[in-house]
Amino acid sequence: MPLGAHLRFLFSGLLLALALAVAAPAGAQQVNPTANSVREQQFLEVLKGNPSAELRGRVSIPDTRAATLERPAGRDWRSFHQGTMTRIGAVAVLGMLVILVAFYLFRGRIRIAAGPSGQTITRFNAFERFMHWLTAGCFIILALSGLNVTFGKALLLPLIGPQAFTNLSVAAKWSHNFLAWPFMLGVALMFLVWIKDNIPNLGDLRWLAAGGGLIGKGHAPPARRFNGGQKVIFWAVVLGGAALSVSGVYLLYPSFSGGVLDMQFWNMVHGIVAVLMIAVMLAHIYIGSIGMEGAFDAMGSGEVDLNWAKEHHALWVAEEVEKGRAPGARLQPAE
Amino acid sequence: MARMKFLCDADRCIECNACVTACKNENDVPWGINRRRVVTINDGKPGERSVSMACMHCTDAPCAAVCPVDCFYTTADAVVLHNKDLCIGCGYCFYACPFGAPQYPKLSNFGSRGKMDKCTYCAGGPEVDLSPAEFQKYGSNRLAEGKLPLCAEMCSTKALLAGDGEIIAQIYKERVVKRGYGSGAWGWQTAYRETIAI
Amino acid sequence: MLIKRKSADVQRGRLQSALGGLAAGVMDRRSFLRRSGLVAGGVAAAGALQIGAVRKAEAASPGPATGTKIVKNICTHCSVGCTVKAEVANGVWVGQEPAWESPINRGTHCAKGASVRELVHGDRRIKYPMKLVDGKWQRLSWDQAVGEIGDKMMEIRAKSGADSVYLLGSAKFSNEGSYLFRKFAAFWGTNNVDHQARICHSTTVAGVANTWGYGAMTNSYNDIRNSKTVLFMGSNAAEAHPVSMQHILAGKETQRANVIVFDPRFTRTAAHATDYVRFRSGTDIAVIWGLMWHIFQNGWEDKAFIASRVHGMDDVRKEVEKYDPKTVEDITGVPGEQMKRAAQTFATVKPATFVWCMGVTQHSVGTANVRAICNLLLATGNVGARGTGANIFRGHCNVQGATDFGLDVSNLPCYYGLVEGAWRHWARVWNVDYDYFVSRFDEVPAKGGRPARTRKQNMELSGLTSTRWFDATNLPAEQVDQQDNLKAMFVMGHGGNSIPRMTDLAKGLEKLDLLVVCDPHPTNFVSLGGRKNGTYVLPICTQFETSGSRTCSNRSLQWGEKIVEPIFESASDYAVIYKLSQKLGFAEAMFKPYEMVQGKIGPEPTAESILKEINRGGWSTGYTGQSPERLKLHMANQDKFDLVTLRGAKGSPVENDFYGLPWPCWGTPEFKHPGSHILYNTSLEARDGGGTFRPRFGLTRERTLPDGSKVNDTLLAEGGSFSLNSEIKDGYPEFTMGVLKKLGWDKDLTPAELEVITGIGGNNIDAVSWSIDLSGGIQRVALEHGCVPYGNGKARANAWNLPDPVPTHREPIYSPRVDLVAKWPARPDERTLRIPNLHTSMQKAAVEKGIAKAFPIVLTSGRLVEYEGGGEETRSNKWLAELQQDMFVEINPADASERGIRDGAFVWVSGPENGAKARVKALVTDRVGKGAAFMPFHFGGFFQGVDQRGNYPPGTDPIVLGESVNTVTTYGYDPVTGMHEGKATLCQIAAA
Repeated sequence: MPLGAHLRFLFSGLLLALALAVAAPAGAQQVNPTANSVREQQFLEVLKGNPSAELRGRVSIPDTRAATLERPAGRDWRSFHQGTMTRIGAVAVLGMLVILVAFYLFRGRIRIAAGPSGQTITRFNAFERFMHWLTAGCFIILALSGLNVTFGKALLLPLIGPQAFTNLSVAAKWSHNFLAWPFMLGVALMFLVWIKDNIPNLGDLRWLAAGGGLIGKGHAPPARRFNGGQKVIFWAVVLGGAALSVSGVYLLYPSFSGGVLDMQFWNMVHGIVAVLMIAVMLAHIYIGSIGMEGAFDAMGSGEVDLNWAKEHHALWVAEEVEKGRAPGARLQPAE
Repeated sequence: MARMKFLCDADRCIECNACVTACKNENDVPWGINRRRVVTINDGKPGERSVSMACMHCTDAPCAAVCPVDCFYTTADAVVLHNKDLCIGCGYCFYACPFGAPQYPKLSNFGSRGKMDKCTYCAGGPEVDLSPAEFQKYGSNRLAEGKLPLCAEMCSTKALLAGDGEIIAQIYKERVVKRGYGSGAWGWQTAYRETIAI
Repeated sequence: MLIKRKSADVQRGRLQSALGGLAAGVMDRRSFLRRSGLVAGGVAAAGALQIGAVRKAEAASPGPATGTKIVKNICTHCSVGCTVKAEVANGVWVGQEPAWESPINRGTHCAKGASVRELVHGDRRIKYPMKLVDGKWQRLSWDQAVGEIGDKMMEIRAKSGADSVYLLGSAKFSNEGSYLFRKFAAFWGTNNVDHQARICHSTTVAGVANTWGYGAMTNSYNDIRNSKTVLFMGSNAAEAHPVSMQHILAGKETQRANVIVFDPRFTRTAAHATDYVRFRSGTDIAVIWGLMWHIFQNGWEDKAFIASRVHGMDDVRKEVEKYDPKTVEDITGVPGEQMKRAAQTFATVKPATFVWCMGVTQHSVGTANVRAICNLLLATGNVGARGTGANIFRGHCNVQGATDFGLDVSNLPCYYGLVEGAWRHWARVWNVDYDYFVSRFDEVPAKGGRPARTRKQNMELSGLTSTRWFDATNLPAEQVDQQDNLKAMFVMGHGGNSIPRMTDLAKGLEKLDLLVVCDPHPTNFVSLGGRKNGTYVLPICTQFETSGSRTCSNRSLQWGEKIVEPIFESASDYAVIYKLSQKLGFAEAMFKPYEMVQGKIGPEPTAESILKEINRGGWSTGYTGQSPERLKLHMANQDKFDLVTLRGAKGSPVENDFYGLPWPCWGTPEFKHPGSHILYNTSLEARDGGGTFRPRFGLTRERTLPDGSKVNDTLLAEGGSFSLNSEIKDGYPEFTMGVLKKLGWDKDLTPAELEVITGIGGNNIDAVSWSIDLSGGIQRVALEHGCVPYGNGKARANAWNLPDPVPTHREPIYSPRVDLVAKWPARPDERTLRIPNLHTSMQKAAVEKGIAKAFPIVLTSGRLVEYEGGGEETRSNKWLAELQQDMFVEINPADASERGIRDGAFVWVSGPENGAKARVKALVTDRVGKGAAFMPFHFGGFFQGVDQRGNYPPGTDPIVLGESVNTVTTYGYDPVTGMHEGKATLCQIAAA
């Protein structure tokens, strides 16, 4: 089933009963309630063309959810979760891993072309690194605990047995629920702190057009503090993180989200965005660690080799030098 | 083996809620958990019908399919049960269930819904049959005593039928033939991918 | 806490062996069905197939595990009389099982019945006696409490007279409890003793008894399976009597019967009808006469039946002529075509039965409403045969029994009335001197222009009704026709929120010197009003914690066995009445006939010994054959009775008996009368449960012919109408010793019987009748000659002793149709039942004040399936309370949108008197038509927007509280019985 159809869930809390109400005479006087009784078949026919509808009635208990008699859409969510979701997840995560391995094999580790200079430049200060690792740490656990929900049953459960798997899943669920908050904080901080350096510009297009210098031997066009690739990551994190946050909060507080149909919708948003983001993050992790010499230092010590910086962020280095914050400026008098 | 099902004859159901309180009585179900409920469609309008609904113990149950920890199992009588020790309260079965059967002790609380609870067809759970532990977690186990679910046994107008699918379908069919009308075996197409043709 | 069965046999094997055959191919489905008892009776029984049948196959296997015993009692909620099967382990009620064997409920229950186990675990029960001291509840011992109450009662008696203490009893009593409480009132010396029947079916009893003899349901729930047309009016059986719907819907299916529902509200019952007719509340007579108009117009009436068994139908015919379809549509809102269809169906698709409840009875013309319906049944010949009848669904579990035993302001037990003969009869049964009772009553001085009354006159005057007790407190003493105003209420098992004008009632409560509330749960008598002192609360156990018989709506008696000991410090009605009698000094005389046992709070009589005394005295109503032994035998052999005929199977210990020996069950228990399943049924022999209409109003009546000459019409049956094999092939009067002598049948009396009769009659032995002959000889002889002891008379279409002998439409006191009031006014003001009844003044004032403009919505009330009566008991039951957590008003979407009211939002419902208002939730629904509103009557604990939870003794407040509908309901009382007009008043609704 196409995602588009699922998305309609959000917009139609259709009360089928009303739509189907037997045309009652105004005074309700000439009626035979037996002959005119509602039949399930009528509802099912309407439901067929309208997967987002549910059959609702009246219950005396205050729990309005209980007023839904049937929601065949539950079947559709199940097929989404067991089919579409699993496939997207598998393709995204495994696909990205395959690409990265292939890339590694093809391109190998990207070296600093000029070799390490021995001089460093401060790329990220302590607060920025804290914010990054806060977000990253949370994300990794959130990702693993999230993947566990979709894939753990197939992959992990047979290995460790039901009770251990439940214990693990409970721990995973709790960490997912609680780490969601620092993750959201991290995303928010990153957005505030880095937004000024992440406004897309023409240079980014050129950078992207040149494949960021990662493909082929040519150098990427010079970039400022963040190059086109990093901006993509930034926006993926901000927008994806926002989507995960909003959908996640709805899932954490079922009472906000309205009906089950809404919860199904948020669950789908959460799942799909999450696996896509995991794929992006895998690439990010790759390039920030084994994929590129010198890149890890940016978030490790915060000090990157000047040559690395010049190769990837020439314009930024120039700006830093201008401001007197780069080693180039400081070191000159010493010579 | 029998294939246990529920069938609510909406042309008999008068929304008396006996099934609901019988369930509470038999299983000591706490306030706020409604293993069974009665929904009235077209309330107050000619043709109004009420239907008693609980877990339908579906064929190829969606709850079991989506459960991330695989805590559901189907008994030899085709009753869909779950293991509360394994349940992590994630709510997926609630999203997947076409009948709104899964219940949680703390639906609105952050983080924990508690262990899912639902109709057991008065068949207890994975604990030893009729043990106190079984009762505490799942309620009574009438099937083990050779009895059917109390909701159906106590239904004031014998609208709610429980028992082997073929037998209750036959009872319903005979009723419809006899009286000449029937609003359908509510939920059967969704739960069992079949209906009662008359 | 695990309070359910802790162990039971694992019997999975049984089920599997029963069902397993299917897959194994050992047994095909057909043989499985047979084995399960499912095809008993073949496909023909399909409609009656019971789901439990699968289980039934195993029912023969050994019962539950050792240590658990099964005790059978009867549900304490409605009058259907469902058997409750309790599993008891170590004195704790641990489980409830379906009682498949009961022919009435066949294992089933409604929400209330399926949750009764909670009642004896209920932590909200009153746990010990308490009294209110300066607004604070203090715990007392039983001795202290009864001592103080007794002293106060004696003090009030000395100052204001015995009539100043109001004894409000209960339809929740067992038969024995009801009888004992009535006897208590006689010993105390007042006729101010009443119970819920006043507000339930008092007008039915009056109307029906005045038509054909007895004020009770003529057939049974089970018998409706035979009906081809079932007409409901003002009855929502699906919510009020859910288990009865099992029989009705099964009948509807197997007979393809018509089910026609007349109701202002599209109820859950209407949802299952084949025809639903909405009409305006309070126009019942116009509706019935509208039906009759078509019947007479088209000659659909049963002429032979009318000729032989009905007196005065021509008078009705004359009245009905006024109700042509146009007039009727104007009054009721029902189109003529629909009326015609319903009339034709009811008159021609026979047998037809008429079911009514409080929608008909709770009107200022309640008795007349009932009389109109009786006339419809008589005109169409739908009384006295299977599938027909006035099927009056009564309310509480024993409202029939409590009515029968005279918890009524105008009767001694078994409808003997209050005349001297009645008092002498019961004095003989009780073995107490008649003069003692005379001495117990007040002398009433002349006041308000009324003459004084002697003790004897006061003893024979009907008392104050429970609908107006507070008027007798609030009105000037001069207007109250007894020695003084009411000063004390002694309430056993009765809610305070079930009668209209609660704003006045609250004032009355504050004026009382003494208020005693004896109940398992504190009723809103306790929470309402600003009382600070002089209120006592006594914990009474439920009927599940004591034994006794109860009479269901169909007049069948069922014996309930004590399931568990009374919980906490609660005690049975028997024990409390004994203890109080002891304090008041007449226990010895009152209790001497009974076997006494030691209970928790002192000695108490056994229910069996009380029932045996009833058997010795209840001749007039045939309460004499139902000995405790026979009733217990029936309970043990419930499975031997036929589902439809209720007849005991051949060869069983209950062979030929009707289930529960429905009264009248003539003669002594040894006479073995089977009871009367269907009243006035001439197709059976009298001694086999047959009957005739009862001639109670003389033998002839004078009629003036058009030419001025006078003839005497006979009031005895004619035209060969008599019960099967009657030796008298004609109408005959009631049997007395004199009649026996004339027939020469007195020789059949045994010497022992003759001796008793002589002892009663003294020198006028001929006057000893079938109803006061304590030997039962006169009844026996009459029955053995195929005759009914009370005679063979005609039913009365014209009941000349009633205020409206032939009913006529009268607009409700608060009518929305001001234009109709002039033509169809209320009755003139009068004094009834000791106080003024201002029909006309109130109606006139309402018209003049323009009430209908300011309060344009017609308000009616009714039941919810989850709750019952005043509702404290059911609202304290967590399994039920969860299902209805808020008081609400049903309002039509059109009215709601005019007023900006959303579904689920709070609204103020205001009434026309005293600025009364109630804050409730809106339920916007098409159930009610435009201009009409409905509120359930089970709520209490909020009063005009104020939460009164704090007024309940700590820990006893019901889980769910809400406004009472009766805060906004209004004045209006039936002239015959004092029934209130709870079903047709006016209100306004506004968003809160």
